[in-house]
Amino acid sequence: MSASRRLDALLEAGVGFVAGVPCSYLKKLFAGCAELPAGYYLPAVREDHAVAACAGAWLGGRRALAAMQNSGLGYCLEVLTSLHLMYRIPLPLVVSDRGAPTDFEEHRILGQSTRRLLDLFGIPWREARPGSHEAESRWLIEASERERTPAVLLVGKEADV
Amino acid sequence: MTRAEAVAVALSLLGEGDIVVAADGAISREAYRAHDRARTFYMVGSMGQVASIALGLAMTRPERIVGLDGDGNLLMGFGGLAMVGGIKPANLYHLVLDNGCYATTGGQPALSRKVDLAAAALGAGYTWARRSLSGDDTRPAMESWLAAGGPALLDLAVDGEETDAAPRVPMTPEEMATRARAALTWV
Repeated sequence: MSASRRLDALLEAGVGFVAGVPCSYLKKLFAGCAELPAGYYLPAVREDHAVAACAGAWLGGRRALAAMQNSGLGYCLEVLTSLHLMYRIPLPLVVSDRGAPTDFEEHRILGQSTRRLLDLFGIPWREARPGSHEAESRWLIEASERERTPAVLLVGKEADV
Repeated sequence: MTRAEAVAVALSLLGEGDIVVAADGAISREAYRAHDRARTFYMVGSMGQVASIALGLAMTRPERIVGLDGDGNLLMGFGGLAMVGGIKPANLYHLVLDNGCYATTGGQPALSRKVDLAAAALGAGYTWARRSLSGDDTRPAMESWLAAGGPALLDLAVDGEETDAAPRVPMTPEEMATRARAALTWV
């Protein structure tokens, strides 16, 4: 058992490598990542490097998960399109769902465009619910592996379990 | 020495089990032409991510991982140096084929002429890093690099002029990914 039930569920669903850049909406998830054994968690310096490292870990035979704030999707676009989508490399992503009208203004523009951005590139996504972490973890892995694509679970503050 | 010759020398020094990540553009095409191998992952696009992909491999595989990078490519993904230096995988070997310019796009000068990439790697935490100048013997420099403890970076000066362009790798990106993963995970 880690500090995060969601991380436990993702590990149960077969995740064997995590790379990411923290978000305060994902405190529990990242607390769990910090407890993983050496070689299983990469604290990346920027989100594009996190997803690229996940591609390397997938080539190495692991199910690799990226975790980040939705603002990080902007940094990732080139790698998601010309690495994961073009090479058909599966990539489950846990992305914080920031940008509500009550959130800080720096989160609003990309935050309120996140779903449209994912739709634009044909990346499947789903919104997390507080009690559904086990089914959501299975969906995330299956959605990314079935079509060998990035797939995104959008996690609001209340769903960081 | 041309970049293509340096790529060929590097590949000739590797063992069958070594895993190679070849940078997008000319470096991948030259690596394919010199010696195609299933354990080479050829990049087309996602510039700046050689070190990050190599790190993901180094953290999940016991074999030696060799990143064939370019200087402009490394500068674009400079944060990758910090991740490799911070994690310190002993099996990661990083070769920068440094022509001091963006050769593929017309030879525009790159800041690698002003920035000491080997010093940056050491500052980031690489165990070993050196710059090899154009007059130096390439093969001994590469042998020292591969004999050093990892993570190790060799910043190798190569000619900036583009002659004898290698053709594109004749596989789809999906085939490249599938083939490399199958070669690594075959049991």
